[in-house]
Parts: sequence; structure tokens; C-alpha cells
Amino acid sequence: MFMVDTHIHTCLSPCAELDMHPAALIDAAVGAGLDSIAVCDHNSAENAGAVQRAGRAAGLAVIPGMEITSAEEVHILGLLPNLESALALQAKVYRSLPGRNDENTFGMQVVVNEFAEVLGFNEHLLAGATTLSLEAVVAAIHSVDGLAVASHVDREGFGIIGQLGFIPPELPLDAIEISRRMPLTRARETYAPGGERSILCASDAHDPKDIGTAATYMLMEQATLQELRWALAGEGGRTILGGGRPMEDLALHILDIAQNSLEAGAATIEIRIWEDPAEDRMTIEVRDNGRGMDPETVKKVMDPFFTTRTTRKVGMGLPLLAAAAKAAGGELTVDSKPGSGTLVRATFQHGHLDRAPLGDIETTLMVLLAGQPDRNIYFRHRIDDLEFELDSRDFQTADIDLSSPIGLAILREAIRKGESGLRVFKYGRRTV
Amino acid sequence: MNIADAAKRIDGTIVAGIGAAEGEIQGGYASDLLSDVMANSREGDIWVTMQKHVNIVAVAQLNSLAAIVLVNGRAPEPDTLARAEEMAVPIISTPLQAFDVIGILYGLNIRGRRPV
Repeated sequence: MFMVDTHIHTCLSPCAELDMHPAALIDAAVGAGLDSIAVCDHNSAENAGAVQRAGRAAGLAVIPGMEITSAEEVHILGLLPNLESALALQAKVYRSLPGRNDENTFGMQVVVNEFAEVLGFNEHLLAGATTLSLEAVVAAIHSVDGLAVASHVDREGFGIIGQLGFIPPELPLDAIEISRRMPLTRARETYAPGGERSILCASDAHDPKDIGTAATYMLMEQATLQELRWALAGEGGRTILGGGRPMEDLALHILDIAQNSLEAGAATIEIRIWEDPAEDRMTIEVRDNGRGMDPETVKKVMDPFFTTRTTRKVGMGLPLLAAAAKAAGGELTVDSKPGSGTLVRATFQHGHLDRAPLGDIETTLMVLLAGQPDRNIYFRHRIDDLEFELDSRDFQTADIDLSSPIGLAILREAIRKGESGLRVFKYGRRTV
Repeated sequence: MNIADAAKRIDGTIVAGIGAAEGEIQGGYASDLLSDVMANSREGDIWVTMQKHVNIVAVAQLNSLAAIVLVNGRAPEPDTLARAEEMAVPIISTPLQAFDVIGILYGLNIRGRRPV
């Protein structure tokens, strides 16, 4: 399983922060727990090589890319197989990009190497639009074997729907991307109710702190463009498991904690969510039978200082979830003993203005069940008197292989049915 | 005022949908964000825009707009042209810029109207 942020700018983009140099950016990506990123500056790929080299040194796969502005002022990401393709596409873009940058108006366009040394300043008007039509941009990306993704389709400015009213049905896009503003659950209903489009969640980071604030979870063998192509098309056992906002969505906090449980050797993980809007209460529990922790370790993993970005693997999730619970008038407790597993419980005021959204439970369950077919995962989500239960053992009993495409499809359908069943209420639809 | 007459007044050429150019203009709308045009333009509006992507024809069709005016001498893309012919949506191309086009149309008593 790969957690990927496919849309990150560098200091080459005039609108990005100057500290978005390759090393800082890779540091932040590793700290956010990402397995791979794509670097996509506006109308240029001049920093892509440096980011790739910085990534290689840190063991992080970097996909080169570019965010091209079409003549209609629609942003299209080109995700590319290698640097040569990126530079070939860049040459095409430069030929169709009028104007020169004015640093005072738009900002600096810094070309750097992987050691944060300034190599020069790009003089093209990267903030401007190319003279290439949308169709020509997509064709240019495909001509160098790249993947064409409509950027932040939920945004009015430079988003394909804002600019053009709707996605041209004939346009051969490989995926659409949603920004941090939109929950994946809503994006599915809005843009792909029949699963007709692949959706990427990406941060569109212009600042190191934004990296990984949105991410896509993909089932792939390795982080290459070919694998990404298969995942988007759902071919060869590769697939998009889901996505969302790891720092915000409670569902992804749950995923993070469950992943800690897996690392602690748990054979069984039980996840329970109770939502009780009438009593203004929400409780999330993750219980495992892993090796457990002594009091000192519990204290450590709860310490936000201990969990700076570079040490996320030790459990950045708990302090984040603790902060989310506290902000919503609740609290987080960790009950753990060596040899007898761990119970994490977070409570919230359900209707609290600062209560983080639950996010996409489908992502959480897809990643856990598809990624760990040998573990037992039990899930229960209750809203008022409605309940959705899922147990990985039922799939084992029914002889459904969750690592097969059919198994994945059955799992996805079961989760969708169960979760949407919770949202149908006697008064009609409700939002939780 | 009908579309053919309005086209002359803004130095425009009807490049597509000439068969529908006798239609009456009931109001006007100006925007380059097609999502906004879909939400706020009204039936019978003449729509002034820079956009020449094929989607403009669908938006005009959807809201039963009277005609599309492409400003700054912009010509529709080939597929836009073909679709406009097929759907009988008049497209006027004018060398004038949007500000002047709208000023002239306003002088002809064509007004923006509140969205329905």
C-alpha cells in the first residue's frame, strides 16, 4: 500500500514559499508518512530532477510532473514516467507560454539543486496560461506517455468545472483531483456516482506544512507511473483504495492508529464508532491484541514533541487525535499493558463546531482489510439505533480473497452499502 | 433587436449558427466562468465571453441563450464551430473587446437580468 500526494509545488512556482526547496520538501513528505510524491510546478519541470535526487537519497519515490494551464485557464496535471518526458513536455509548454515573469508581481521562480543551492531564476511567465487548448494539453501529456489529471476540480478558479461548467465528456482524462476543501465521500457522489472516474486526493502544497494534508492510498507493487496508471485503471490487481485528509479526517486518524496496532503485531483489531447526535456524543475506539506498551512508552507516544514529523512512524496519530478530541470538548485515553494489547478511546461532542469530520471510512477499511488479509479486523459503526458491522473473518469464511480484484470489489460494495445505510434516516438524508 | 442586427452593431461576423440569427435578444450576460453562466444567465440572453472551448455551445444550449459573442477577435475552435452548427447556436466573432461590446449592446437597450 502506498500513501501518495500527487500534487506538490516547489519554490519554482511563483506562488509557492521559498522554503519549498527539494530537501525541505522531501523531509516534510517523509515526516507526513508519505510513500511517494509527484512534484508539479506551474508550466515547468525544472526542479523535478533535483526533487527526484533528494527523494532518492531519502528513499522516497518522486514522480516528475507539471501543472499546465490551458488556454481556458484550466489546470491540468501531467504525471510523467521520467525526467526525459518531463523535459520534452516542458519544451512544448514553453513554446506556447507567452510573457516574462515579473518577480515583484507574481513572486520568484527559483531553480535549485538538491542541496538548496540557487542555480538561477526561471524567466517564463509560469503564472500565465499557455495558448494550448485543454484538448491539446491532454494530448501533449499523453504524447510523452504521461497521465492527465484535472487539478482541484472542486475549486472555481482554474478548476475544470468552474471554468468550463462541466467536464467535457470526450476529454480523455486519466483521473480527477480534489483539493483539501472537499471530502472524498462528497466527491464520489458529485463526480463519480457510478465509479466512472478515478479520484485523487492531493494537497496542492505551496508550503512545506501543507505536504501530505491530502493523500491518496493506492494498492501498488511500487511507486512508478506505470503502477499508478494501472491503479487508476483498476488493472492488474492495482487499485485506488481511497484518500482524504490525514491530518483532519477522523477516519484517517483511526487508520493511523490501526496501523500502529499492526506494527505492534496485533492479530486482531477492533474498531468501534458510536455516534449519538441526540446526546451530542461521539466515541471512537481502537482495540488491539498487540504487544502493548508500558506506561513510559504510552507517555512517549502521547508526547507531541516526541512525534515531530521525522518520527511519525512511531505514532504521530495519537497526539493528533488527542488534539482533535480536545478541540471538540472530548478527550483521548490510552489503556495499554505489555502483553495485553492496547485500547485507544477518543470522545467528542458530536455537534461541536470544531469536531473534525469523520471522513471516508471506506478508505480506512479498504486499506486495512486489503492491505492485511492475514489479520482479523472487526469494525462497527453505530449512529443512533442504526448499525453497520463488518468482520474480515466473514470474508475468510466465505472464501473471498481480499487481495483479488473481485474480492476488493465485493469489499468495497459491502462498505458502501453499510455506510450509506447509516445515512438514510426516517427524516430523509442526514449528514453526520 | 435580433441577433443579425446586433452582430452588425458590434462589428461582428456570424461564424456559426447563421440559420438562427433571426432570433430576438431578450437580455445580456457577460462572464468567462462557464459554471457561472450556467447558474446565472437566462433564456434569450446574448452572452459575451473570451472562452472558445466547445463547452460554450453546450452551456448556450442548456440555458437557451440567443447567441454567443467571442471578443478580441477570437475565433471558435474547430470542434466548437462544428458543434455550434449542429446545434444551431449562433456565434458572433468581433474584433472589439468585451467592455466596448457590452457598452454598445447596453446602448441598444439590452440589459442584464436577475437570474431566475
